[in-house]
Amino acid sequence: MAKKTYDLLFKLLLIGDSGVGKTCVLFRFSDDAFNTTFISTIGIDFKIKTVELQGKKIKLQIWDTAGQERFHTITTSYYRGAMGIMLVYDISNAKSFENISKWLRNIDEHANEDVERMLLGNKCDMEDKRVVPKAKGEQIAREHGIRFFETSAKANINIEKAFLTLAEDILRKTPVKEPNSENVDISSGGGVTGWKTKCCS
Amino acid sequence: MADSQDESLGPAFEKDPLELGVEDVYDISYVIGKDLFKLNSGGQEVSDLQFKIVRVLEMFEIMVSKYNLSLEELRMERDSLKGELDRVVEGSHENGNNIIGLDKLVIDMKDPNRPRFTMQELKEVLQERNQLKAQLLVAQEELQFYKSGVLPQPEPNMVEIDLGTPSSMDPPLSAPTKENKEQHKEERTTIQKLFSFRRK
Repeated sequence: MAKKTYDLLFKLLLIGDSGVGKTCVLFRFSDDAFNTTFISTIGIDFKIKTVELQGKKIKLQIWDTAGQERFHTITTSYYRGAMGIMLVYDISNAKSFENISKWLRNIDEHANEDVERMLLGNKCDMEDKRVVPKAKGEQIAREHGIRFFETSAKANINIEKAFLTLAEDILRKTPVKEPNSENVDISSGGGVTGWKTKCCS
Repeated sequence: MADSQDESLGPAFEKDPLELGVEDVYDISYVIGKDLFKLNSGGQEVSDLQFKIVRVLEMFEIMVSKYNLSLEELRMERDSLKGELDRVVEGSHENGNNIIGLDKLVIDMKDPNRPRFTMQELKEVLQERNQLKAQLLVAQEELQFYKSGVLPQPEPNMVEIDLGTPSSMDPPLSAPTKENKEQHKEERTTIQKLFSFRRK
């Protein structure tokens, strides 16, 4: 764990069809590990990972949602607090790609308007099972003006890059050094969301 | 009943034994009683035999009546279970849950793994789980501070779990009360007065 607490807290959300690998993507990022056994996420879960960007400690609180429709009412209630949303599909599953528009609609309906979005085509290590060409992913991302990565949680491809890029995009929009933010009495250069503990040394 | 020749015994004698009612037993007893009466002039042996026959007929009556009673009990139990099932099905309909209909599920009530918690309940459990998880992380971080010999600043909860405002906590529903249905058990007294004239 970090010795120093964070400067900023970013809340991220992972969405997408069941089985596309959202939990694995997150697990790779948070624990740098991969598990082949598929355990369907029940409702909603989260992980914490602190990263450092531009000299700032950023605590990422990443919410992992169940893709199954039956949890829809639970998962959508978590959209609003998210500052960044990763929409994941599976490059070996055409249906999960077709459903992107459905997930984007969910974002429109339930998330903040200024939420940072990102599209991930996961399982890109499974080239032999690919049914969604990379170009199609790039195209739909372009149409919606969002970033796109092909990732593999298993082969650890682009996972960290995706999260860091999303965090950077959020950081870019985040007004730095808000003097009027709460709890800034002792902290120098406190963030908007977080409370910076005075570094003792 | 019709006074019969040796051949015709009367309708009760023709019946399936399992469909006999006490009335049939009385009919049979009537027919036999008439014959016994004819033998009235006989000696001690005949009298003893008559008494035995009456006793057997008595036992026969009890058996038939008990049999019909338990049959009726089973029918009543079946009907009440049917009614209970109907109520359960209706109840589930009202709750907007599972069971029968185009986009509904049929639930096997005997399945120990059947769904039985509401989405709201799951939501609350998940919220609590995530809250505790967040608190654990905070506690772990604080522990790190103490281990490293550095006292942390008092700090608000670093991990804010305010996503999805927890809605009103409904008190847990108590288990539905079981209806104690009355059991009608009519005591049927043995009426074997038909042969009172023969007793003793």
